[in-house]
Amino acid sequence: MITLTYYPGCSLKTSSKFYETSIKNTFSFFGIELTELNDWSCCGASAATTIDEKLAYALTGRNLAIAEDVGYHLFAPCSACYNRSKVTNEKIKKDRVLRDEINETIYPLKCLGTIKVKNIIEVLHDHVGIERVVKKIAYDLSSIKVAPYYGCVLTRITKMDAFDDKENPTSMDSLLWALGTELVSWPYKMECCGASKTLTNKDVTFRLSNIIMEKAQSVGADAIVTPCPLCQMNLDLLPYLGRTDKNLPVLFLSEVFELALFGRIGGMSSHIIGVDGVVKKVKKK
Amino acid sequence: MDDLTFLNQIEEISGEKISTCYQCYKCTAGCPVATEMDIYPHRIIRHIVLGDREKVLKSKTIWTCLMCITCSVRCPNDIDIAHVFDTLRKVAVMEHMEAETDTWRFDKLFLDSVAKHGRLHEIETILKYKLEKKDLFSDTKMGIGMFLKGRMGVFPHNIKDRKQLRKIFKKIDSK
Repeated sequence: MITLTYYPGCSLKTSSKFYETSIKNTFSFFGIELTELNDWSCCGASAATTIDEKLAYALTGRNLAIAEDVGYHLFAPCSACYNRSKVTNEKIKKDRVLRDEINETIYPLKCLGTIKVKNIIEVLHDHVGIERVVKKIAYDLSSIKVAPYYGCVLTRITKMDAFDDKENPTSMDSLLWALGTELVSWPYKMECCGASKTLTNKDVTFRLSNIIMEKAQSVGADAIVTPCPLCQMNLDLLPYLGRTDKNLPVLFLSEVFELALFGRIGGMSSHIIGVDGVVKKVKKK
Repeated sequence: MDDLTFLNQIEEISGEKISTCYQCYKCTAGCPVATEMDIYPHRIIRHIVLGDREKVLKSKTIWTCLMCITCSVRCPNDIDIAHVFDTLRKVAVMEHMEAETDTWRFDKLFLDSVAKHGRLHEIETILKYKLEKKDLFSDTKMGIGMFLKGRMGVFPHNIKDRKQLRKIFKKIDSK
């Protein structure tokens, strides 16, 4: 039994509300308690760094300071929030000048970098563990072929260690294997989906997301699995971005856990590309 | 051409040792949007060293970048190229040389929303962006689709301590 401070970030309260539901279902099954970070604010995503780097640090520093006060490690399921929070936390820990500057800006809050920032794969891989996952599976997913898709910023953390290999991560593969799915080997697990260009340059997002979808299909996958809400959204939006071919369902990692543990997906109706086909393949063990 | 202060300026703001680049092309080789760029990433770096201020700041490339950080983690000399591009965008705006205005416009509206509510209010930000672009209807179908799936809310997400947040924005602004 562990307790983590939960930092949902904007997506998990709106566009990916069903991600939150599936995380909560999965975590409570394994006895992980989540306490939502009190009065959390946006991390600034990729916008703040471009406008003013100091603002990016201050926005993230504010959340880290509130979390530090509670004392539990911070769990950030969104890849961008995770990246921003992790980088800021490390800098606060090591760079005294920057730390003082951030603390001066977020006064009366204060941050020293004493807690750790964790993503969903880390929590499930390190705190639950592969063995416990294997033991608890109630449904047979062996007829489901999945393409693990990490997305770009989860492990690409510059100038510091990441939790997995920056170019060829395998920790989610291990979890999906433990859940009983069949994994496809493909070279697109880290390719960019077009990120935040969905609105400002739709053609780019379409082109990149389309390649990922095509590739997953060509290697025979039944579904793409990702931990990132932006990746999930961009791929799920493909029918609206102009793709006319058949699409594969895009599941969150925690939704595959739901399938293996409970045989169903809580937020099924929120998917734009239907997931029924995959759910039907689930058999009782 | 030959603006030698340019390299110093960008190295200082970004904190990156741009001059250590030995043109291995690894950044360009891995860039998912290199084909959409007018100047390849490795050449942008070289142009900075040579002091081609206008060429770099007026390039489309710095706005095409998706910030996927592939170039940065692959750079053998540990130059965070994505971060250099971030810096270049900022300087391009400061010096009124931006080749593309949509990304910056959206980023600003995004942060306006955060300053006002504490969190992003999607629909308000998107509508404001569309109004500024005078293009309200191009993504209507997508918007309705998202709404029907419960993936886009109507109401803002106000945090309690908005006063402190406004102070943070003000302090940064006045620096």
